[in-house]
Amino acid sequence: MTERENNFPALLQRLKPQCEQIIAQYEHKRSAFLPLMHLFQRHEGFVSREAMEAAAEMVGTTPAEAEGTVSFYTLLYRRPVGKYMLQVCRGLACTINGAEDIMAYFREKLGIGHLQTSQDGLFSYEEVECLAACDRATCMQVNLEFVYDLTPQTIDAMLDAMRAGSYGVAPMAQTEAPDGTWQIPQDAQVAGGRKSPGATGVPQPDNAGGVGDPSGVIMLDNIINRNILRFTGTRERAVIDSRAVVERVDEEGTRAGH
Amino acid sequence: MPVTKVLTAGIGEVDLRSIDAYRQRGGYKQWERVVRELQPVDVLNIVEKSELRGRGGAGFPTGRKWSFLPKDKNVRYLVCNCDEAEPGTFKDHMLLEEVPHLVLEGILVGAYAIASHHAFMYIRGEFQRGYEIFCAALEEARNAGYLGQNIFGTGFDLELTVHRGAGAYICGEETAMLNSLEGKRGEPRLKPPFPAVEGLYSKPTIVNNVETLAYLVPILEHGPEWFAAVGTERSKGYKIVSVSGHVQKPGNYEIALGTPVREIIELAGGLRPGRTLMAVQPGGGSSACIFEEQLDWPYDYESMAKAGSMLGSGAFVVFDDTTDFVNCAYNLVRFFAHESCGQCTPCREGGSWMERVLERLVHRRGVPGDYEMLLRIAGSITGLNLCPLGDSIEPFLKSVMLRFPDRFQERIVAAPEAQPA
Repeated sequence: MTERENNFPALLQRLKPQCEQIIAQYEHKRSAFLPLMHLFQRHEGFVSREAMEAAAEMVGTTPAEAEGTVSFYTLLYRRPVGKYMLQVCRGLACTINGAEDIMAYFREKLGIGHLQTSQDGLFSYEEVECLAACDRATCMQVNLEFVYDLTPQTIDAMLDAMRAGSYGVAPMAQTEAPDGTWQIPQDAQVAGGRKSPGATGVPQPDNAGGVGDPSGVIMLDNIINRNILRFTGTRERAVIDSRAVVERVDEEGTRAGH
Repeated sequence: MPVTKVLTAGIGEVDLRSIDAYRQRGGYKQWERVVRELQPVDVLNIVEKSELRGRGGAGFPTGRKWSFLPKDKNVRYLVCNCDEAEPGTFKDHMLLEEVPHLVLEGILVGAYAIASHHAFMYIRGEFQRGYEIFCAALEEARNAGYLGQNIFGTGFDLELTVHRGAGAYICGEETAMLNSLEGKRGEPRLKPPFPAVEGLYSKPTIVNNVETLAYLVPILEHGPEWFAAVGTERSKGYKIVSVSGHVQKPGNYEIALGTPVREIIELAGGLRPGRTLMAVQPGGGSSACIFEEQLDWPYDYESMAKAGSMLGSGAFVVFDDTTDFVNCAYNLVRFFAHESCGQCTPCREGGSWMERVLERLVHRRGVPGDYEMLLRIAGSITGLNLCPLGDSIEPFLKSVMLRFPDRFQERIVAAPEAQPA
């Protein structure tokens, strides 16, 4: 983690000319924001806080506006994702052509669910909306490259090739080394992870939810853990116990400065 | 039924991605003619005469849209809408990857017609390959002098910026697209003012679909009469129909508007052996289903509207008797709930509550009253939102619920302890 923080200024320095070129394409600088995010994501594998802040400064907006904008778009990942971003189409045309079986097959083979990242950091998996390739249903994208006409056989071959490092699509950049905390299934279940991938593969448990936390449970958990009860149990316990804790807080009224 | 090939001519036979291959088939001749010989108003007249209507979904007459531009403002923008994400549509995807130069030429012609000196190409974020192909084509065209400063020595300047989206269906809505182009969240704007008056950077802006702009090239080549000679009374010309679902040869088929629905199914190889047709969704995820009794109706804007549906973007999904319509309804409602930008309460809340009700129906855990509740919520979303996304939730759901009520009712279990969603 520290490694990446140290690297960001260097990356920024290196990309600066490209950034300026992008900004020059628009009459208004702010328009360059999404292209800049694409650029940083290509080099970082995700959009880091530093990248958002740097881009915000370049286009003349605030970090809050920048994060608000990034959080709107599903293809911008605010947390690290695996080397292969597997995005399987769950659109209607794919569904009536067997996408549900294909998705179940993926989940079984990968051992992870929608919006999760495998423990080894090799795969992130997401079930996405219509990819506009319905004539080749069922379809998917691997790091935004289309794969058509999926069958269990082609999926097996694909995953094997990825594991062997011989798959024909370049892996996503990995600037934040997975350290074994990629996947926290409890979060995924509680939060239901609705919009952005990577959101449930939380590398920093202190990082409060955002879009990946629609129910607010992770955030609540953080508040409870850190500020209210100084709860020192495991993360899993804290999530499960949070409802009971809230009730207690309610009963006791002013306890947490409410 | 012979297949018409206008935009799709040559696709699958020759590689039209290089500028030489495209020029060999007459590419960029119209662009050169337009810039050298015609005034913008001439192009506008030709397009009005061709009666071309927008191919992205709304079907608004293209010439009339352009004529809304205020005459006294010099800075205008053209935005080509390639944010194709309507469930079932895959025509722009094909055009972008197979005939990028045709798309580009269409954009150039469109920009000239509205006297714009800066055009934008907004490409859906998922189309990374298409983006690369289009950028390569743009580079070739730039080197050939087809855009830039003083094109063909006529003094006309035109720049094109290619902009990638980042994953949001709603950015296909024109004002959301403009916000996204401005580097903001892709949330639709309140209309009026319409983009033609106040669009990108608050300047007059025209947003046209890829297919619409691409048709400008053959219209200029063959003349507006050629285009207007095809089709029905108010739906002229050709249209690419993206046929998918339960047909044997799904794909893009270019047809004359007014081709009977049945023939489109036959073009796509018909149903699988031994299957019977249950429904067709003729205009993308936002459209209501049409049924057996409408199979001989002409596929055009008016007939589809009369059938209670719409032609939309030409996404044509065929359902046979293996279809689980409850699951399909759940699928589409979930789609809209997921893609709702969240600005308008009816769409944001209504969509996600309906998704939950449908989810329990899918799992055969419906509670008494769910059927009526769904129809009631659906009806109370429509018409109350800034953009058409909220209104898109109801049509498919309602059409299949009214047609196949038993399929929904049979999933309701009388469970006294069942809790509302």
